[in-house]
Amino acid sequence: MKHSVNRPPTPDGAEDQGNEPTLQEIINIKLIESGEKERLMELLRERLIECGWKDEMKALCRSYVKKKGRNNVTVDDLVHLITPKGRASVPDFVKAELLQRIRSFLMSAAL
Amino acid sequence: MSGPNEDNNTQLSSHIFGDLLDSIIVDVASECHRIAKLGLDRNLEEEEEEMRLSAQARARVADPSNSSETNTKYVVDIFGQTHPSVATEIFECMNCGRSIAAGRFAPHLEKCMGKGRKARLKVTRSSTAAQNRYSRGSPVSTYSPYSNSTSTNRLSNGTPSVAGEEYSNGTYEEPWNKT
Repeated sequence: MKHSVNRPPTPDGAEDQGNEPTLQEIINIKLIESGEKERLMELLRERLIECGWKDEMKALCRSYVKKKGRNNVTVDDLVHLITPKGRASVPDFVKAELLQRIRSFLMSAAL
Repeated sequence: MSGPNEDNNTQLSSHIFGDLLDSIIVDVASECHRIAKLGLDRNLEEEEEEMRLSAQARARVADPSNSSETNTKYVVDIFGQTHPSVATEIFECMNCGRSIAAGRFAPHLEKCMGKGRKARLKVTRSSTAAQNRYSRGSPVSTYSPYSNSTSTNRLSNGTPSVAGEEYSNGTYEEPWNKT
């Protein structure tokens, strides 16, 4: 009798056993549900505009478009163009501010 | 605060930050793509046009056959017209009645109407003539026939009269006609 009580629960056929939500996913869901992700995005967008990062990226795009001709450009092209430069040229203080915000969210959410 | 948690947190934060940044990058790329496709970036076409025009202009300036013309009085304006440096239309001076070229009109008026030395002398002469009560018959020309002070009246009958009033009521005859 005791063994049957301790028997592991019947696995649910529909749920895949290997698909345990990762910590990352959990955090992501929490971010979105609380609205913090939206706020962080807006903050980052604002900071990047203020420091001229967006203008730099737009200038890169514009020169690329001028070179290739505007009908030969895809969004993918532009994304691949901007991504390395974009990630590298975020000012340190912007990155620091955002990381700070994220970290404090994580600490408050983990509790 | 335990070590591994801190590292986790830092790693996680960086990862989340990277996610946010990627989203924003895609947004910017998409926006630029839209602007390019819709031709909203007027600067693109304008720049090409301007570069073409500036290259043209530079070629024109560098061209030695043009340089002599541009330095003389025949300057071309934005419509491609040339104007002589002195305006040539002819007007009649309302003061003295002479035909004057438009480009020479201002200096002419200066002399004619009183800014210059000679013109002022003319005025003085006529005013002294008025003061002398027209009895001298000073030969000042009537350059303003309606003005009271400068008309000459040779009143052979010797009575001093103010010329203006006579003229205005129109009953006065031309003084030349009087004997």
